[in-house]
Amino acid sequence: MIRLFNVTKRYNDVVAVEGATLEIARGEFVFLTGPSGAGKTTLLRMMLRQEFPSTGQILVNGRNVGALPTSRIPDLRRSIGVVFQDFKLIRRKTVLDNVAYVLNVAGVPRSRQRKQAYEALRGVGLNHKLSAYPDALSGGEQQRVAIARAVVNEPDLLLADEPTGNLDPDLAVEIMRLFREINARGTTVLVATHDRDLIERMQRRTVILERGRVVAGGEPT
Amino acid sequence: MSALWHNLRFFAGDAWEELRHSPGVNLLAVGTLIAVLFGAGLIALVLSNVETFVAELRDDVRIELYLQDDVSAERREALRAELSATEGVARVEHIDKQEALTRYRDWAGEMSMLIDGLDSNPLPESLEVFLAPGLVAETVGSRIDAEFSEKEGVEQVRFDRELLGRIEALLSLARIGGSSLGLLILAAVVFVMASVLRLAVYARRDEIEIMLLVGATPSFVRGPFLVAGVAQGLISSIAALALIEAARRAALGYTGDDSPALFDLLLAHALPERFVFALIAVGLVVSCTAAWFAVRHSQGLRKIAT
Repeated sequence: MIRLFNVTKRYNDVVAVEGATLEIARGEFVFLTGPSGAGKTTLLRMMLRQEFPSTGQILVNGRNVGALPTSRIPDLRRSIGVVFQDFKLIRRKTVLDNVAYVLNVAGVPRSRQRKQAYEALRGVGLNHKLSAYPDALSGGEQQRVAIARAVVNEPDLLLADEPTGNLDPDLAVEIMRLFREINARGTTVLVATHDRDLIERMQRRTVILERGRVVAGGEPT
Repeated sequence: MSALWHNLRFFAGDAWEELRHSPGVNLLAVGTLIAVLFGAGLIALVLSNVETFVAELRDDVRIELYLQDDVSAERREALRAELSATEGVARVEHIDKQEALTRYRDWAGEMSMLIDGLDSNPLPESLEVFLAPGLVAETVGSRIDAEFSEKEGVEQVRFDRELLGRIEALLSLARIGGSSLGLLILAAVVFVMASVLRLAVYARRDEIEIMLLVGATPSFVRGPFLVAGVAQGLISSIAALALIEAARRAALGYTGDDSPALFDLLLAHALPERFVFALIAVGLVVSCTAAWFAVRHSQGLRKIAT
């Protein structure tokens, strides 16, 4: 599903990722961990083509992300569900509209959008908050809306960047339970986190980054 | 087609949602556009009235060919046909001696008794030349003078060269001044609107980033801004037109019957239809162009192209 070949990312003189080689198979649940500044977020941003690798290649679902023409970037992003630490919900849209937006950009008819968005929100236990605006929700609820948005179009891959960073431990466990369910349905899940307790509790493959280098867990088990 | 319809519906809904949720920035954009279009419209109103006044003056100006007393009817008709075929001539009317006398009496009033004492009518018959719009009246007058004053049967060609020259100068001034002002205003409006809308885009930069991250194409992100631009342009230009007409009527009504001649000259006629449509078109073009520029230069949309 994901292959990185000797990927390096430099910002002028600063090296964020250095010679990272990594393989994640379809259907895996993988944690990407390491201290702050280790390059976790940079790796995820390169997979989404928010950043270009300085050298090396990144293949996501068979697509060479670095070589992708600009016009194909939206297609790549539609095939990946993303969850962020700060939720990144559109504040002026209702919960239902936030989730349906992903289907909207994909050209799904409106009636199907509402139905699928409702189902996704039911999956995260928020079908009673369809008309609420993000600001009226708790942090845990906002993150569950973000997860519903990430999975509403049934992507092959789910990327999560510190998804529990703003949540208390109980909510973090709840979010991980949702990720496990999503993974059980066949979606590959890659979660970047520095929460060691959470990683130990989940008992899944863990890739460790240190100073931009993959120091452990780079190969599928 | 259905995809286009789907997108247009979404853009319209999203633009409306945005207008409701950020009334401040949108009111600022509409207010700015109304103010500038109102100013531009007032200038257009004054210029169009000046142009109408000058054009009416020009319509009253005619070139007169006095004919010799012994000219035959055939020769007169030949001259008339020749004049009618001349470039810049709208029509030619024959004024016989009797009509010339009647006009003189109307003009002279009691003084006409001077001519009534004569045995015969001393006034010559003439051909009156009315000018077509478009060409420079002074040039047409001079050409007719040069071509016809020596022709058989023509006694004299008469026209007020100085008046025609002044009218033409006034007309050119009104047109050139109007066009230059129009262009200046257009550039200023685009600049001001682009700045205002850039504020709107800046306020939504996080939202734009989210939209792009979940797979929206740049054109899908721009769509609602452009639709909002169309709505703002339409609302602003209609409001500006209503304000211009209200201001014109208020100014004329305030001065009443004692309105100074200058007021009548500058505000007598409402904004002509062509200016009304032009103002609406300017409102639409400006707001759409400004919206397009504002979104085009948004950081989020630039990033996707890197």
